[in-house]
Amino acid sequence: MSDLQIIEPEEKPIKGLRPTETPLLEMRNITKRYGAFVALNSMNFYIGRNEVVGLLGDNGAGKSTLVKMMSGINPPTSGEILANGKPVNFNSRADSEAAGIETIYQDIALVDQMSITRNIFLGREITNAFGFMDHKAMEDKAIDILGSAVQISGIEDPDKEVGFLSGGQKQAVAIARAVYFKRNILLLDEPTSALSVRETEHLLAYVRDLKNQGTSSVLVTHNLYHAFQVCDRFVVMSHGAKVYEARKEDTSIEEVTYHVIRT
Amino acid sequence: MATAQSDHIRAAIQQRNRRSRSSRIVDWVRTKPEGGIAVLFLAVQLVVIAVSLANPSFRYLDAANIAVTLKAIAPLGVMALGVSILMIAGEFDLSVGALYSFCSIVAATLTMTWGGDSGADVPSAIAPFAGLAVGLLIGALAGVLHAVITLRFNIPSFITTLGAMLMWKGATLLYHGAQSLRFKPSEPFNTLFNSSIGVVHASMIWFLLLAVAFYFLLHHHRLGNHFFAVGGNRNAAVAIGVNPVRTKIIAFGICGFMAAFSGILAGTRVMSIQPGGGLGLELQAIAACVIGGAALNGGRGSILGVVLGTALMYTIQDLLLLLRAPGFYFDMFVGGLIVISVITNMAIRRKG
Ligand SMILES: Nc1ncnc2c1ncn2[C@@H]1O[C@H](COP(=O)(O)OP(=O)(O)OP(=O)(O)O)[C@@H](O)[C@H]1O
Ligand SMILES: [Mg+2]
Repeated sequence: MSDLQIIEPEEKPIKGLRPTETPLLEMRNITKRYGAFVALNSMNFYIGRNEVVGLLGDNGAGKSTLVKMMSGINPPTSGEILANGKPVNFNSRADSEAAGIETIYQDIALVDQMSITRNIFLGREITNAFGFMDHKAMEDKAIDILGSAVQISGIEDPDKEVGFLSGGQKQAVAIARAVYFKRNILLLDEPTSALSVRETEHLLAYVRDLKNQGTSSVLVTHNLYHAFQVCDRFVVMSHGAKVYEARKEDTSIEEVTYHVIRT
Repeated sequence: MATAQSDHIRAAIQQRNRRSRSSRIVDWVRTKPEGGIAVLFLAVQLVVIAVSLANPSFRYLDAANIAVTLKAIAPLGVMALGVSILMIAGEFDLSVGALYSFCSIVAATLTMTWGGDSGADVPSAIAPFAGLAVGLLIGALAGVLHAVITLRFNIPSFITTLGAMLMWKGATLLYHGAQSLRFKPSEPFNTLFNSSIGVVHASMIWFLLLAVAFYFLLHHHRLGNHFFAVGGNRNAAVAIGVNPVRTKIIAFGICGFMAAFSGILAGTRVMSIQPGGGLGLELQAIAACVIGGAALNGGRGSILGVVLGTALMYTIQDLLLLLRAPGFYFDMFVGGLIVISVITNMAIRRKG
């Protein structure tokens, strides 16, 4: 037993940057356990006003876990969440919706058996006072929404079942939905994984523009060039903890790359 | 927000709307879950009607024959409406047959106790309604109980309700025993549930009214939308903000309620209740839903499909009776029909 060697992780968790003003959303000392497995370990993270944060890290680093937590569908084991400086409980999607957060999930989160329109308005159906849906109003809106963020060819019928769409078309529907309903914060978890080069550029430009309209974003991506195109700040995660954080002006793509791959 | 993409979609929709009626019907058959069964149902009716017009000794179109069929459909149809909602929400309740018996026996016993038997000296008019209300309440609460156990312990509802089926079957024998129970409720209950307008029995009218109500609930109400969502992709529904627990509890409750109503309707019509009368009905109800295009793993189905599926099953039964075929042919035909309808639905969808 005595020659058992403890191998220190190459990179230690760090505290990272501190917000200079009250952030839109702040995660303090967040830990998430799945049984004995620690998916997030004393993680600190914040989203400020008018900024795009790049959330980077290897596969399994905990990025999606953090995104789902900020979407309300994956409550922390311990730690504090603050929206606009006030402590909040994020126990369901309704809680994050109240905080003005929309998410494009990595696994798309569409119901294959339902139409595009019904997917876009799921949980936010346009109804009368008795809860009966106004199909015409939803379809009209859906057509507008589909034209707003990314323009994917081949979507011609908002009544079509999502299960029949291609991967990129599905992603476009998920993007369109989140983009339309976003208010304060847009979370994008690998939103361009199925998009063409042209539509990827469109979406990135759109995220940059959003910042000026008052919506901050978090972009999760494995493509550091994309991250450098749009992000103002970078957070690199490894094994559930933050290992590097820097503003764009204080770092370089080489340095960020180094921290992503060395962990 | 009038972008090129939106204009393109609008133009495409307009173009589709300009196409001929026949190609739109083909589209409907292809994309709707009930498309296949609708075609099959019409084809069967056309053939049988043609045969009976050509051959008057085949009494399919006789008023008496039609009346018999219209008397028989409702109990299974009512039960299948509830079962379909639950199947679409991604769950099963195998205990609906046992609940059908238990709730109707409780309703009938209470009706008797409270003086609602039509043979009493001064029959109570409200007693049968009170019995009905209690029966329906028990059905709904039983459904909610099955839901809570299933969701709390995160086990397949197939298992929960397999257990519940035996539980309610035992509870029926415990409460009442194995002998049949007379159920002749007083007026106006009897007229409301057991009279006929022409060839149409009251129970059939109840079934159709409920089918219309369920159609609006499932296809046009927010709640119906959520049934499809939690049954189709539970994780996506949660991620987008639909509460699956609440949605499924409601679906289970509706299913239990409908099982109870189905049992009471059947008891009123035949004026007596057999404690074992509901056994096997749960599988017939699931069969009616599947024939009507409901997916076994949730997220797909329609009310029109359930109505047509039930109607087709009784049409086949009626035809076999008219042909004086022994009863076991019915099971064989329905068995074949289940498999054939699923194969046709899949084939149609793959083409679409
Ligand atoms: N429900 C769960 N139960 C157990 N472990 C989980 C669960 N969800 C996630 N994990 C684990 O948590 C870790 C972090 O997963 P996460 O999805 O957050 O990674 P990620 O950084 O998004 O990776 P990728 O870049 O591949 O998407 C992984 O090791 C994963 O296996
Ligand atoms: Mg991920």
